[in-house]
Amino acid sequence: MTDTVLFLLVDGLTSGLVYALLALSLVLVFTVTRVVNIAQGEYVMLGALTLADLLQGRMPGTLYLLIGGLVLCVILDAGRWRRDWRQALLYASGLVIAGVAALALTRGALALHLPVIGMMVVALILVAPLGALIYRFTVHPIPNATTIVFVIISVGVSMSVQGLGLLIWGANPYPVDPIAAGGVMMGPVFIPYQSFAILITALLAMGGLYLFSEFTLVGKALQASAMNRLGAQFCGIPVNAAGALAFLLAAAFSAVSGMLLAPLITANYEMGFMVGLKGFVGGAMGGLIDYPLSLVGVMIVGGLESTSAYVASAYRDVLVFSLLIPILLWRNTRSRVEAR
Amino acid sequence: MTKLLEVANLTVGYGEAIAIDDISFSVARGEFVTFIGPNGAGKTTLLNNLMGVLQQTSGTVTFAGEDLKMLKPEARVARGIVIVPERRELFPGLSVEDHLRLGAFLRRHQGRAKMAAALERIYALLPKLKERRKQLAGTLSGGEQQMVAVGRALMAEPQLLMLDEPSTGLAPRITEEIFEAIDRLKAAGMTGILVEQNANLALSVAERGFVLEVGNVVASGEAEQLRQDPRVLAAYLGAGDRYREAMTDT
Ligand SMILES: Nc1ncnc2c1ncn2[C@@H]1O[C@H](COP(=O)(O)OP(=O)(O)OP(=O)(O)O)[C@@H](O)[C@H]1O
Ligand SMILES: [Mg+2]
Repeated sequence: MTDTVLFLLVDGLTSGLVYALLALSLVLVFTVTRVVNIAQGEYVMLGALTLADLLQGRMPGTLYLLIGGLVLCVILDAGRWRRDWRQALLYASGLVIAGVAALALTRGALALHLPVIGMMVVALILVAPLGALIYRFTVHPIPNATTIVFVIISVGVSMSVQGLGLLIWGANPYPVDPIAAGGVMMGPVFIPYQSFAILITALLAMGGLYLFSEFTLVGKALQASAMNRLGAQFCGIPVNAAGALAFLLAAAFSAVSGMLLAPLITANYEMGFMVGLKGFVGGAMGGLIDYPLSLVGVMIVGGLESTSAYVASAYRDVLVFSLLIPILLWRNTRSRVEAR
Repeated sequence: MTKLLEVANLTVGYGEAIAIDDISFSVARGEFVTFIGPNGAGKTTLLNNLMGVLQQTSGTVTFAGEDLKMLKPEARVARGIVIVPERRELFPGLSVEDHLRLGAFLRRHQGRAKMAAALERIYALLPKLKERRKQLAGTLSGGEQQMVAVGRALMAEPQLLMLDEPSTGLAPRITEEIFEAIDRLKAAGMTGILVEQNANLALSVAERGFVLEVGNVVASGEAEQLRQDPRVLAAYLGAGDRYREAMTDT
């Protein structure tokens, strides 16, 4: 019995940490841009499939997405050429250089047969900028849209990215190597090394975000944009750049979570949506604004998921999503108390 | 005198509603002007347009010879157009010192020494901020918050400092402290636009004034001269009743 409990605990903790990275992404995006990003899970899929491609020696399809996005950026910037061609030229050449650098980096990594960690870094560099690009195409043009508009847009983004994923990778599942194969017996339970990798990476990511927001001026500027957009503008903080940065960082966290998760479940084009929603359930606990509470939320999600997989595996997802109802009720009473 | 800011035929509205109706004025380098007027006259609208967070429907704004129309707020701050906003617009979860540093966000590459020196200058001007420098803005009193807003603006090294009703909701003593700081800035050659409800106070600081009513400049001139203007007296100096009596008598 204790074996089972311990096993479930480790399993729950592992998935909780994966969802934690998602919840972190959602909170970051929501606080800075007021976007409830339903599409956040798609970066999980992009991260996992990009890593799968790189590990099997293929040019990842993500590279084409990235280059396509950069080209679209240049096209959208066309209006600037007449007003200020120097700036426009600078911008366009910057994007061209970024595209070429991404291509060179990928080729180099493939030629060198980097180890899994190295390939993860390359995949991260390819996926994270997609977050900023999607911000540029969907949020930047309509900064004052209402929350519901952004929700609908992000559903659209989710579907489109999934469609592109299907187009590029097909419907087959791809195996992904773990950072380190094997595991260790700790007392009665076997713990795969990948679980440790997940723990360490998640802690590093959270710690990194914390240090960045608390100890750098750019991090403070990001917080400022989240707390008061107008005030941030009056300080000369480019709020659109702040939004793009939030999307980029969030894409990075989610992509990492996909790369860590994939070895446990294999990667496919529709894996992201579910993971995204579970991160969302956890994030809802903190109202999408509170990091510590969101962490509590994802740990509950992870725990419930692994226990329900054990006692009633067919209802696993049903149980996890039902959790949203008590969470929202709880938040509702809490906010009423606060209002009083 | 060279004009730092020139506003020509400026019209600003919210959808159909026009809040600033075809006004023109200019501010010379080193000059402090004031806009006075009742609630809803369009004073904040004017400043928000100058900051670039609200686009004009027509007219031009020229700053140091450059047309501002296409410039985003951050580009305007970079050129030295800085505001102490009406609602202060602070960041409740950040400390006083964070606010000051963020005020210098665009000058963050100038290095630690410059930043430290700039902070010291602000603390010398507004000593209360030094005592409170680790406190979160959300927990400050109204007067302290106003000082943070002023300090944050000054950290940007303004060429044109715009103050939107800095005395609102403050005790006379705090108002005095803030206006002393403004006086010292003025003496150091700062150019400014001061928006005030308290016309007496505003006209004692500024050299020239404009009276704004429902989006139109209805009176303007030297501060001394405006103080004597019966329309100003009537509406904003609290002598309204006497003025109206005088008018009905004749
Ligand atoms: N966001 C907005 N949308 C629509 N109308 C607005 C908006 N902001 C201001 N207005 C209107 O524009 C007019 C001018 O408002 P503004 O805030 O500029 O006045 P003000 O002179 O600053 O007044 P106060 O002294 O009360 O601050 C008012 O009639 C106001 O109702
Ligand atoms: Mg106002």
